[in-house]
Amino acid sequence: MSENTIISTSNLNLWYHEKHALQSVSMKIPKKKVTALIGPSGCGKSTLLRCFNRLNDLIDHVKITGEITLDNEDIHAPATDVVTLRKKVGMVFQKPNPFPKSIYENVAYGPRVHGVKDKNELDRIVERSLRHAAIWDEVKDRLNDSALGLSGGQQQRLCIARTLAVEPEVILMDEPCSALDPIATAKIENLIELLKQDYTVIIVTHNMQQAARVSDYTGFMYLGKLIECGKTVQIFEHPKEELTENYITGRFG
Amino acid sequence: MAEKFHTELKTLRNDTSKMAHFGRDMLKTSVDALIQQDWDLATTVIAKKEEIHEMEIGIEEHCYQLIALNQPMAKDMRIIACTLKVITASLRVGRYGKSIANIVKDISDKPHIANLMSIPHMADLVIEMVDDAIKAYETDNITLIEEFSSRDDTIDALRHSIFREGITYMMEDPKNISRCTNYIMVARYLERCADHACKMAENVHYMNTGERIEIH
Repeated sequence: MSENTIISTSNLNLWYHEKHALQSVSMKIPKKKVTALIGPSGCGKSTLLRCFNRLNDLIDHVKITGEITLDNEDIHAPATDVVTLRKKVGMVFQKPNPFPKSIYENVAYGPRVHGVKDKNELDRIVERSLRHAAIWDEVKDRLNDSALGLSGGQQQRLCIARTLAVEPEVILMDEPCSALDPIATAKIENLIELLKQDYTVIIVTHNMQQAARVSDYTGFMYLGKLIECGKTVQIFEHPKEELTENYITGRFG
Repeated sequence: MAEKFHTELKTLRNDTSKMAHFGRDMLKTSVDALIQQDWDLATTVIAKKEEIHEMEIGIEEHCYQLIALNQPMAKDMRIIACTLKVITASLRVGRYGKSIANIVKDISDKPHIANLMSIPHMADLVIEMVDDAIKAYETDNITLIEEFSSRDDTIDALRHSIFREGITYMMEDPKNISRCTNYIMVARYLERCADHACKMAENVHYMNTGERIEIH
């Protein structure tokens, strides 16, 4: 496997009860790049995303076959600790979901769970994470205020800071901007551009223009299959598959 | 929304097709006027200059609007990119028609030398290339442009031959200089029109395949 690949799936299949939600998905996610997953509703984008940190484990009657590796290690191997996996693979959801705690405590929560007790060390992590998430200047004077008092866009960046606090390798984003206005969306998109210097980002989005703007690679999914995956410029300028062409030009979906 | 956009894209292609035929007809009419030494026909070509210019501006504006409002991708994007190039090429073809018409007005007083040399034949070949490029744009049939490279070589060879023949007549009698210079200019304009047909062909190829080719 290429040393530039961080996550790789091989012949991945997933069933919810009888529904064959992912069908023989094989793809490689390049390290420190932004990969976007696009496709019509119900095509399996979010399901695939949730495989990467084993979030589907929480759902009953899910059966998975095939292999997913992170840094060349099988994430379903018995030796894999799910908590450690989710520390390495952080996630940001569609709707900002800060804890009903202070801004500071939201970010300090993860490191605390992972054993950081020193107050100075926690202060450093909180500041660094909030700076990385491009929200430090907006909240530095009110770190002890409730996170729920922030705007939607600020809450989403706080959630990103919370993810960054445990120093993940990969950040999964499931429709991170769909609940935000255009200005907050632009801020998150700028942030994604900055994040890829240090992290691998995988983003699921309904908004194809957003996928085209923020990603280096794009995968197009349809009815549980990965139809085409390649450089974003190629996918949006001249896709190889007719299905991709028809979807991105709005002929279906 | 996508349906509305695709309907607009069809309208755009129809308008572009009309403009391309308009430019092609200006060229064809100017060549007819040259052959028949028809001063009035040449005047009708010159009068079309403004109209084709307005057509180009209208279509260009429409392209920008479609881009701004729909953020087209894949083939939709390539259709608009190709259209922008086709209208520029068509405008040039039309304007070369106008330039030939201007020459007609200068040289309609006396009979042609050597039956215009190979100019009528060259014009037929050039107009066929323009026709095929337009048809390929209209129908997405890129087999029509497959031979463009060798067809363009023929045009270049004809221009060169007209140039040499013209020089010969000039050397025979200096009174021919003005007329033959004009013939050489016409051959040059026709050769440029073939180049514009090649540019259209390259862009139609890109529109249909996403791949760039170069036609020399």
